[in-house]
Amino acid sequence: MKVAVLLSAGRHPVSGRGALPRLEAQAIRLAAALGSARGLHAGPDADVVAEALGRGLSQIDHVALAAGADPVPALAAVLRAAAPDVVLAGRRGQGGDDTGLVPYALARALGATVIPDVVAARPGSEPGVIEVEQALPKGAARRVVARLPVVLTVHPAAPEPSAFAFGQARRGRIERLDVAAPAEPAAAAIAVAEKSYRPRPKMMRGAPAGGSAADRLKAATGGGEAAQANVMVSPEPREAARAILAYLRQIGVLAPPPGAG
Amino acid sequence: MTYALPALVFVMVALATVQALRRAAWWRLGAAAPVAWGAGLLALPKRYLVDVHHVVARDPYASRMHAVVASGLLAATLLTTLAVLPPLGGSRAYWAAVALAFGVTAAGSVLVGARRYPKRPKRLSGGGFQILPFLLLAYAFGGLAAALLLALGVESAVALGLAVALAAAGGLGLAYEVRSGPMRHAVAGALHLVAHPRPKRFEGGRPDAALAPLDLDAPRLGVETPADLAWNRLLSFDACIQCGRCESACPAFAAGQPLNPKRLIQDLVAAATADERAYAGSPYPNARPVAAPAEPFFRIIGPDARIHPDTLWSCTTCRACVEECPMMIEHVDAIVSLRRHQTLELGAVGAKAAATLDNFRGAEEPGGRPLTARADFAAGLALPMIGEREVDVLLWLGEGAYDLRYGRTLRALVKLLHEAKVDVAILGAEERDTGDLARRLGDEATYQQLARANVATLAKHRFRRIVTSDPHALHALRNEYRAFGGDFEVVHHTAFLLELVEQGRLTPGALGGAGVTYHDPCYLGRYNGETEAPRKLLDRLGLDRVEMARHGRRSMCCGGGGGAPVSDIPGDARIPDIRMAQAAETGAGIVAVACPTCTAMLEGVTGRTAEVKDVAELLLAAVEAGR
Ligand code: SF4
Ligand code: SF4
Repeated sequence: MKVAVLLSAGRHPVSGRGALPRLEAQAIRLAAALGSARGLHAGPDADVVAEALGRGLSQIDHVALAAGADPVPALAAVLRAAAPDVVLAGRRGQGGDDTGLVPYALARALGATVIPDVVAARPGSEPGVIEVEQALPKGAARRVVARLPVVLTVHPAAPEPSAFAFGQARRGRIERLDVAAPAEPAAAAIAVAEKSYRPRPKMMRGAPAGGSAADRLKAATGGGEAAQANVMVSPEPREAARAILAYLRQIGVLAPPPGAG
Repeated sequence: MTYALPALVFVMVALATVQALRRAAWWRLGAAAPVAWGAGLLALPKRYLVDVHHVVARDPYASRMHAVVASGLLAATLLTTLAVLPPLGGSRAYWAAVALAFGVTAAGSVLVGARRYPKRPKRLSGGGFQILPFLLLAYAFGGLAAALLLALGVESAVALGLAVALAAAGGLGLAYEVRSGPMRHAVAGALHLVAHPRPKRFEGGRPDAALAPLDLDAPRLGVETPADLAWNRLLSFDACIQCGRCESACPAFAAGQPLNPKRLIQDLVAAATADERAYAGSPYPNARPVAAPAEPFFRIIGPDARIHPDTLWSCTTCRACVEECPMMIEHVDAIVSLRRHQTLELGAVGAKAAATLDNFRGAEEPGGRPLTARADFAAGLALPMIGEREVDVLLWLGEGAYDLRYGRTLRALVKLLHEAKVDVAILGAEERDTGDLARRLGDEATYQQLARANVATLAKHRFRRIVTSDPHALHALRNEYRAFGGDFEVVHHTAFLLELVEQGRLTPGALGGAGVTYHDPCYLGRYNGETEAPRKLLDRLGLDRVEMARHGRRSMCCGGGGGAPVSDIPGDARIPDIRMAQAAETGAGIVAVACPTCTAMLEGVTGRTAEVKDVAELLLAAVEAGR
C-alpha cells in the first residue's frame, strides 16, 4: 500500500519553537503498519519537518511555497501525480492557522474518502480496501472498512509516536519537488488579531440553568437514562425507525406528527 | 636434574606468552584508540601500588591474600629462571631462597583456597575460579619441594621428578589460563593499567568522571557490536577478576533489577570472544530470557542478542561499580556508549524516556515546562535576573526548581544568600536544562545542542562563579561543558554555604542535638569527590551526626540518576526504599540531602520514619534559631 504522510511546520505548544506536531509523528507510526510511506510538506522550508525523518520516515517530499500561501492546490497536485492509496494527516496544524480543513479539502480534490480521528489502520481483507479504527466521543470506537483511496486524520489516542532517532534523521532525505500548482485566486487574507491564550470556562449547551452540580454534570456528560435510551442493540427496523423519528421530533428537526398536540 | 625446574618455568612463560598473544588478537579487533604508551608504562608501578592497592585494601582479607600469592608467584617464577646462570644453579643457598619464595606462594595459595572452600561467598564466581586454588597449590608445593630437595642437597631423581611434575601440573595450568581463565586478569590487568582509557583518574585531584563527547558525524553512533568499542576497552574487560565487588555495590542489583555489573562486563567479554567459558557468577536478577547468538562480534543489546535492553536501562550511572572495581574498569562509559547506539540509531528507548527526550528537544526542559516558570518557586522573594552588571554569584536553579517540594529547599537557599548579603542573580528564562539526563539516556545529539546553547548564554553574562544545588547540573557545568568551551568556576551550594559560615557571614545557632545522617549524592561524592563540605556544615549546626555504613565515596545511590526513574525497569524492591532503610538503621531522625533528585527519591519512600531535609533547609533553621 502506498502511503503519504502530510507533515506541517508546527510549533511546540510550550516553547513555541518549531516542532513536528505530535499527531503527525503518530501518523508516521500508523503509516508504518500499512506500507511504504513518504512524507509530504508544502511550505517555505522543510527544516522543521526534518524531525519526521527521525520518527520512521526515510524520505520527505518538499514543495516550496511562499509563506502564507494556501498549501492545498500544491499538495493536491503532488498527490494526484503520486496517487497514494492512503493519505495520513494530523487533525489540524499546531501553531499556524490550525483550520483543520486541509485533509477535507484534499480529499475533495482527490475524490477520496475522509475518515477522521483514526487510532489504528491495517490493510483490509481484500485488495483495494482498508480497515480502520475510528475514535468516537466519550471513549467509544468503531471499525470502518473503506475503499481506497482514503484520507485519514489521526486521533490523539492513536499509539504513541516512535522515539526520535537522531541517526536515522541524519540519513533521511528531503527531496524538493517543483510543482506547477494551478494558480488559484488567492483568498483574501483574513484579518486576525493575536491575543495570548486565556483559559475560559466551557459553555455547556443545554445545561439546565440552576439545578444541582450533579444535574449539570449529567447534562454535560450525557450520563444517566438519556444515554441508555439512545442505544438499541439489533432492533426491529420499524422500532428503530420509530425511535429515530421520535428523536428527530424531540430535537425539533421534524415537525410533530399531524395528529398530535 | 637441576635444570628441570627452570626449564619448566621457561616453558610456562612461553605458554603464557603464546596464550596472551592469542588473546591479544581479539583485542585488536576493537576500534583504534590513542594510548600514551610511554607515560603509561612509566606510571604502571604507581598505578598498581597506589591506585589499585587503595581499592583492594578495602577488603583486608583479599588484599593480604593477593599480596602474598602474587608476590610469591612472581618472585618464585623469576628467581627460578635465574638458575640458568651456572654459579646459581649449583648453589644451595640460592635454592633455599627459591624455596622461600615458593613457600610464600604456597601460603598465599592456601589463603586463596580458604576463601573459596568450603563455602564460596556469593559475589565470587565459580567455574574456573574454583580450580584456581588447586593449580596454585600444585605449583607452589611442587616448586617448594623441588627447591627444598636442591637446597638440602638430597640427590633423589625420583623425588625431584615427582616434585617437578606436580609443579608442572599447576604451573602449566596457570599459564594456559592466561588466555581465557582466571589468570587472564594478571596480564590484561597490567596492560590495562598501562593503556587505561582514562589516564587522568590516576593523577589525583578530582575524579575523572566526565563522559567523552560523541562525534555526531561518525558513520555509526554509539556501540552496536564489540568492534565499536576501543581496543583498550576490550582489554579492560579482560582485566576483570570476577571479584563481584561491583555487584555488591550496585543499587540496581540490590533492588533485584536485571543488572549485575560483573555479569555485564563478562557479557561484553563473551560478546567479543568465540569460545569464552560459561559465566559462573550471580546472574542478572529477574532477567528476561535472551537468545544469545554464538557468533562473536554480533549486536550486543537486544532480546535476540547477549544483553537484554532492560539490563542497560536499569543502570543509575551511580559509578559505585567503578569506585569499587580493583581492576579500574569503567562500567559507566561502556553502558552509556551502548545506550547511545540504542537511542541515537535505533530510537529504542522506553515510552517515558522517549517523552522526556521529546521535551528536551521541544522545550529544552525534561518536564516540558515553560522556562519562564522556573523561578516561580521564588514568588515573593527578591531574586534578580542577571543583567549587564557583573555579579558575584550566578545561581543555577536546575530542574528541581519546578518541583513543589524542592522549591522549599531553593527558597531556603535564597533566604540564606540574602541573609549573607551575597550578590546573586539568576538567568531566568535563559536557563535551559543542562541536558544531563538526555546525555545519560544516550541522547548525545540533544545534549550537545543544549550544552552549546548554555555555554553561549553563559558567555554573554558576567559573573564570578556559579552556585548550584543540583549536583547533576554541577557536574555538567563544571566538568562536562569543558569539552564545549565552557570553563566556569562552579560551586555546590553546600560548599558555598560552608564558606559563608566560615567567613562569619552566616551565624547558625544550635538545633538541639537531633540525630542526622547525611546521604551523599553520587554526582557530588563519586563524580566530584566532594564529601566533606556538607558534613562540616552539619557539624556546625549542633546536630548529632551519624554515618550510614555506606557513605562518602562509597555511598549508595538513591535510585534517581541516569534516567532510571524514567526508564523504570521493574525489580523486587525500590532503590530509595533500600537506601532509606539503611538510613533508618542509624536511628537518625533526619536524613540530610544535597540534591533535588535525592530529595524527591528519598522523600517519596512510603512509611519512612525519618524526615528528609536539605542541608540548606537545616542551615536556615539553625540560622533562624540563632537570631
Ligand atoms: S568488574 Fe571489577 S569489581 Fe566487578 S567483578 Fe570485575 S574486577 Fe571485580
Ligand atoms: S553505575 Fe551504579 S547502577 Fe550502574 S552498574 Fe554501576 S553500580 Fe550498578
